[in-house]
Amino acid sequence: MTTRGALAGPPLSLRAATKRYGSVTAVAGLDLDLLPGRIHALVGENGAGKSTALKMLAGYVTPTSGDVYVDGRPLTPLSPRRAMSLGVGMVHQHFMLVPPLSGLENLVLGCEPTRAGGRLDLERARREAEALQVETGLTVPLDPPVRNLSVGEQQRLEILRVLYRGARAILLDEPTAVLSPVEVEELYRTLGRIRDRGATIAVVTHRLDEVVRFCDELTVMRRGRRALSEMKRIDEPGLADRLTRAIMGHEVAPPAVPSAVSDDAPVGLAVVEATALRPDGRRGLDRLSCRVRAGEIVGIAGVEGNGQTELARALAGLMPLASGWVELRGKRLDHGTGDPARAVQRRRDAGLVVVHEDRHRDEMILETSVAENLVLGDLGRLPDAEPDTVARRFGIFDVRPPDPEQLGGALSGGNQQKVVMARHLDRPLVALVAAQPTRGVDIGTARIIRAALAERAAAGAAVVVISADLNELRGLSHRLLVLRQGRIVAELPPTASEQTIGQAMLGHTGPSSDRAPEIDDVATTSPGAADGR
Amino acid sequence: MFAAAGALLVFNLVVAAFGYAPRDTLGAAFAGTWGTAYGTGQVLFKATPLLLTGLAFHVALRCGLFNIGTEGQLALGALVAGWLGPSVGAAFPPLLAVPLVVGASVTTAAALGALAGFMRARLGVHEIISGIMLNRCVDVFLPWVLVVGLGATALRTDDIGAGARLPGLEVWVPAFSGSAVSVAFPGAVVVTGVVYLWLERSVAGREMRWVGLSPTACGSQGVDVARRRIQAMVLSGGLAGLVCAGTVLGYKGYYELGLGAGAGFSGIAVAMVGRSGPVALVLAALAFGTLAQAGLSINAQVPKEAMSVLEAVVILLVAAAAGVTGGDGATRATPGDGAEKGDGDGAESGAAPLARTRPVPSERVP
Repeated sequence: MTTRGALAGPPLSLRAATKRYGSVTAVAGLDLDLLPGRIHALVGENGAGKSTALKMLAGYVTPTSGDVYVDGRPLTPLSPRRAMSLGVGMVHQHFMLVPPLSGLENLVLGCEPTRAGGRLDLERARREAEALQVETGLTVPLDPPVRNLSVGEQQRLEILRVLYRGARAILLDEPTAVLSPVEVEELYRTLGRIRDRGATIAVVTHRLDEVVRFCDELTVMRRGRRALSEMKRIDEPGLADRLTRAIMGHEVAPPAVPSAVSDDAPVGLAVVEATALRPDGRRGLDRLSCRVRAGEIVGIAGVEGNGQTELARALAGLMPLASGWVELRGKRLDHGTGDPARAVQRRRDAGLVVVHEDRHRDEMILETSVAENLVLGDLGRLPDAEPDTVARRFGIFDVRPPDPEQLGGALSGGNQQKVVMARHLDRPLVALVAAQPTRGVDIGTARIIRAALAERAAAGAAVVVISADLNELRGLSHRLLVLRQGRIVAELPPTASEQTIGQAMLGHTGPSSDRAPEIDDVATTSPGAADGR
Repeated sequence: MFAAAGALLVFNLVVAAFGYAPRDTLGAAFAGTWGTAYGTGQVLFKATPLLLTGLAFHVALRCGLFNIGTEGQLALGALVAGWLGPSVGAAFPPLLAVPLVVGASVTTAAALGALAGFMRARLGVHEIISGIMLNRCVDVFLPWVLVVGLGATALRTDDIGAGARLPGLEVWVPAFSGSAVSVAFPGAVVVTGVVYLWLERSVAGREMRWVGLSPTACGSQGVDVARRRIQAMVLSGGLAGLVCAGTVLGYKGYYELGLGAGAGFSGIAVAMVGRSGPVALVLAALAFGTLAQAGLSINAQVPKEAMSVLEAVVILLVAAAAGVTGGDGATRATPGDGAEKGDGDGAESGAAPLARTRPVPSERVP
């Protein structure tokens, strides 16, 4: 079965590693050992130091003090290039791919095989890539431009790329944050194959079910330190709960349970036969209709890129509807064809509030203070004095560190999301649309945010939650709607099995095809490309 | 410090290349600028338009716009001032005439800025392209309007009336007697403070800055990005229109072709060097004003263009220093977990160039 010998990975270690950024200590005296032939999960809250630990091992971050060992030898000089030459490769949370180049071109970018005279030898690259695919079982289409690949395929390409460069230890930073459930399983199948061939693998994740199902060893980090580190015992009952306690450092409140909705509650938000065209002319929304009662939470499930982004943007007034309309409490809103800024403000004044999925693109200005981010878009239209509003919104969630004057970009992802949600939840609400409200957010914060959503629904708001996290949707929603190719293709109770929901998401083709029918460019390309600057 | 030392070194090489002792030339440069009250006055005079154009460029830049059109905006505004000055200045007392004439100049220049802003915000025409085009348009329009419209023969307007003249700074500081500096300089400093305060405190100013930081987030959150961009260009153009106060009203007493030319482009450099705050901006304007005046005082020995070389070296070195001390692009480009990334130093890096620009070479004569 082996064609080139096993991928015998090097053991990796951190010894008393500490990393400080100014006054913030990201990692404090961490000892960590990653062994070959294991998938090691690093879990913990946002800001617990998981990514920093991983980046130290891969040479991206230089420890303030302490040592990094690869294969028992200190990593010097501390650089990604040096780490790579020792067989340590990292797959970043945000893909480092060039969207218009083909898979093959991306694969060899930076280490291109050449013929005499320095000419690019793509044929050789292809032969090597295909051999590697056979060897590892990682299949990625090599010819289409990367922007046409699904998120899962792009990620496999990233893994293939570090393998192509000779990595035998692969460190993945939140690889599953952007994947659908089917893609997550596929990823771990792939990682399992590489592991079985002897590679050293580490995964940073927020999803404990993955740790329980797929990983061999785990380390729980809390505030830069190791809170728990052990081999995972197979099928230990209550492991997830034990991990949750270790991550939080204390008992956690039970998840939010939606309160009942009466059948005669009025419709808060209705979308009627809405069609929206994307810039490339394809239909982002295709005669989509749905109704959400006051007090009801409707979950929108679907493979990423099937109209989720368009639904949120159209409801916010940022994307005009080619046909159809949106009703708020039975009152028809305009099509959003005019000035988008006015449309957003009019809808917000009417009580329709939308939280977009891409925090850094649409919800926050990282280079300005938290206080200013709390009133972004509200200047000149606040009912109260601005300092009062800022103080109130800042107090809704427990934002850490508790300083409204620090830059938004200095907060951890979870705390950034608290700021975003606080701003939106503080507004007068008739309907709330929240896209990926807990993406990249730690368990504790996610529960707080979900509880806040449930609370607003209980107070009479019509709530739509668009999420890639099926567990979140099933735990939070009264009803699930499945979105595929811009249409609602199924309505399911929250008790439906993951398999039932998954089949509806993918159509009838079954779980072997995880290729998204249409790809959302914004969500799948690198942050730089989506930045628009 | 590096910038100053580097500039001094290059200056010495240039001067030596012309066959003069750098020491003597530096002495002459100092004597012609901060060495005497007259020289100091001349520096302030040269710094006045630079401060205003620097401020104009800064305002647009805070909103994410590169207003390269200040050159045309200030020229057209100054022409209007020179055109209205004779009649308005003769008919009204200073308290009325000066605001009228300056106001007309500001309005005209702001309108030109608004045009570029409108084309950017509503039609998607990049403001650098439209700014350069509009500069060219003004270039050919000015002589035409002077000759055909105003019937001028010497490519200048008539002398403005007494009511529209701004008094020299010597009315407050008698030592400046004889130099060209007018009360426009303290005026420009006050305007700088007011504009900075407005950018920090007002709704429009804050939203302009936000648009400059993240137009997509602003658009998604209902900030009227197009409107703020147009407003920023109006304000930027209007500030360029203020330049006529120092040149036409405070110095020449008329508009002639080419008056104030170059201040628009130099203002970009002033804004870049002095971007960390109002004080830095004033210091940067003074520094560049010093270089311009020093160039004149050494002209007998070394071509005054030597100072342009020096200017360029200062800009390059300051830019390089900002690049070294500024945010680390590699780490900022990967927004993962915010705290785990944890470097918030990008925004503060602007403070560094200030320290580097303060010691102007010509002040540091051994």
